Amino acid sequence: MSMKGGLNRKSKTSSEVPSSSMADIAFLLLIFFMVSTVFQADKERGIEWAQAEATEKIDEKQKNILNIWVEANGDVFINDVQREMSEVRTVVAPLYRNNQSMVISVRSDRNVPYRYIDLVQKELVAAGVVRVVFATELEQSMTRERR
Amino acid sequence: MAVMGNKKTKVSDEIPSSSMADIAFLLLIFFLVTTVFPKDKGLSMVLPEESETVEVSQKNILHILIQPNGAVTIKRGESQQEQTVRPGDVEAIWRQDVAQNENLIAGVKTHPDTPYRFMIDVLDALQSAGAERISLQVLEGE
Repeated sequence: MSMKGGLNRKSKTSSEVPSSSMADIAFLLLIFFMVSTVFQADKERGIEWAQAEATEKIDEKQKNILNIWVEANGDVFINDVQREMSEVRTVVAPLYRNNQSMVISVRSDRNVPYRYIDLVQKELVAAGVVRVVFATELEQSMTRERR
Repeated sequence: MAVMGNKKTKVSDEIPSSSMADIAFLLLIFFLVTTVFPKDKGLSMVLPEESETVEVSQKNILHILIQPNGAVTIKRGESQQEQTVRPGDVEAIWRQDVAQNENLIAGVKTHPDTPYRFMIDVLDALQSAGAERISLQVLEGE
């Protein structure tokens, strides 16, 4: 074997791609996507849920659920925008036309007077939406006994 | 001196860090798999379609009137007899009445000033009892 310069040069530079920092690069990518991902969800309105024992999970894809928030003073919010009660049907109707399998989740404060809930229902019926869920929290039978 | 030095060089005193990233990834995948996002939950109802009015014989209706203070008044069909109960009692009443008349419809009439939670309590009781024909209305003129 010759011990000339060519062989020496070969042994100095590694022929492999350095893989020790691969994991770091993967983590950086991961963190980048975690930070830049925006979930389409409206912010919590800080309402007190009504409680019900018969609460069941809605077996529906997230994109088929439209939340209508009703605050304790009767303010209505759809997609983070406050709406007048009479506007609800004009807001909901086009959304329903695009997605016929839409379910409305009425998220109301437990203390809101019933007249607002009734108005919301009438608006929804006018918009043609009939599948409605009254959002509640699961009530344990223990708490009911105490009441 | 010579013996000690030899031993030292054989055992590395560092924690092997080459597999750290793998462990981190395993942890990450574990949490990805086990995370459950809270699902929407509530009481589902099907509202009547517009212009869908059905004439129902009075004797097939169980009127459930909810007053602003949370008191629940039960009126059966045509009889003028009233019965005041708590929201939780509606479940037993419905079970008892539907056994006698399987075409029974629950007409829940809520006073406009009644807090929402009382209506949910009644709806909860009805759904717990397996009622499916429920009509939600507003109590008017009282």
